[in-house]
Amino acid sequence: MQKHTPMVKYHPDARFLTDYAAGCLPASQALCVATHLHYCPLCRLKIGELTELGAELFMQQQPVKVEKAALEKLLARIQASPQSPISPVQAEPSVSILPKAVNKLTSGNLERLNWRRIGSNFRVSRLNVGDKQRETSLFCIKAGGHVPHHQHKGDEITVILKGSFSDHEDKYEVGDFIVRTNGETHKPVASQDQDCLCLSTLDAPIVLSNWLLRFGLYLFNLGTPSHQTAA
Amino acid sequence: MRTGSLKAMDYESDDQQPAAPSDERGQYWVICLEKVASTQDVKAFRELFEHFSPMIKSFAYKIPGLEQAEPFAEELLQETMLKVWTKAASFDARLASPSTWIFTIARNMRIDLLRKQARHVINNVQLYQDGDDDEIALDDIWFEDENSDVFNQLAMQRSRKQIHESLKLLPIEQTEVLSKVYLEDKSHAEVAAELKLPLGTVKSRVRLALNKLKLVVDR
Repeated sequence: MQKHTPMVKYHPDARFLTDYAAGCLPASQALCVATHLHYCPLCRLKIGELTELGAELFMQQQPVKVEKAALEKLLARIQASPQSPISPVQAEPSVSILPKAVNKLTSGNLERLNWRRIGSNFRVSRLNVGDKQRETSLFCIKAGGHVPHHQHKGDEITVILKGSFSDHEDKYEVGDFIVRTNGETHKPVASQDQDCLCLSTLDAPIVLSNWLLRFGLYLFNLGTPSHQTAA
Repeated sequence: MRTGSLKAMDYESDDQQPAAPSDERGQYWVICLEKVASTQDVKAFRELFEHFSPMIKSFAYKIPGLEQAEPFAEELLQETMLKVWTKAASFDARLASPSTWIFTIARNMRIDLLRKQARHVINNVQLYQDGDDDEIALDDIWFEDENSDVFNQLAMQRSRKQIHESLKLLPIEQTEVLSKVYLEDKSHAEVAAELKLPLGTVKSRVRLALNKLKLVVDR
């Protein structure tokens, strides 16, 4: 695991942590929390506690009768498949500085992703986390560059994976979990020394303030599957 | 035949097992899991199954509005306990208590089964999109083994005791919200919608509860 970054300053609130520990946080937001946990020992401790709470509630449920046949069925399955208890997989020393989930999604190679440029300093690549209600992507801001000026229609969560950026409020570092809510306008600028890579998930499409960039985003949307819902 | 509630922590004695304080009781399941891992001990597994499966089934039935709840509960039980069998060797008593470990497996399995079910529905109405196959595995988002750090062990034991003792002292409206979030698979936002409360009220009920349980969250 990555050496701990003492700089993590922005954390998911109790709502995100509880929903995550309970397993009811939408997958894309859960990915952001899991990514933050990679960098934040304090929140790992909190999640540990909140999982204990879940286990306690779980064990206090009204028990539901289980037929005797259920165990026999399972034992038969176990016998039928030669798969006996497996030894624990030796944790491989992680060579990557990125969290496991992000590595999986990117197959460990960021350059192989399908990046789309919006403006000269900003590129974005959509990820598939099986959450049709939200847009989840990695984005990269060139050192010293800024994210196109935009306004949020829905809530946006950003977790910094590399580098840092600033906006009118503060400077954000690796591991920080930043939530922007509906209606907020902001214009993050990457620090001068290196490119800034972030994971983000968005409840609803963003509105770009500049028509040219809006056109750029329009093209970007053309190239990706449209959002369909099951309803 | 056991009577009364079947709680892990204040489990009363029955014919086979002597009464034990909660810590030793938890320790008993640790030994069972270790036996399953080391010698594929079916007797130990049988005991684990009898103790935990009524909770897993109850957990399955908590999903609201589920069609075919019985097969769903049966599948959740089978798949969760199969995983307990196959993954027993990766159980680490320094990281989690047996009930926490099994809860985590059941929680992940339930998300997984619900997700498959949703996809099945989508499939049937021809909305399935290509490329969905390579979406991320659940275990990469909700870890089963790697959440805790070993150095947190003592803190965990303390908080577990604290949670157990304080949970019954919470006001009903706080327990209600916690149960919906943890057992009924409803996010804060969904609980707010269901109870016709502002999201802020749901958030503050959870916060007050966590505060009473003396958890470090939000401290």
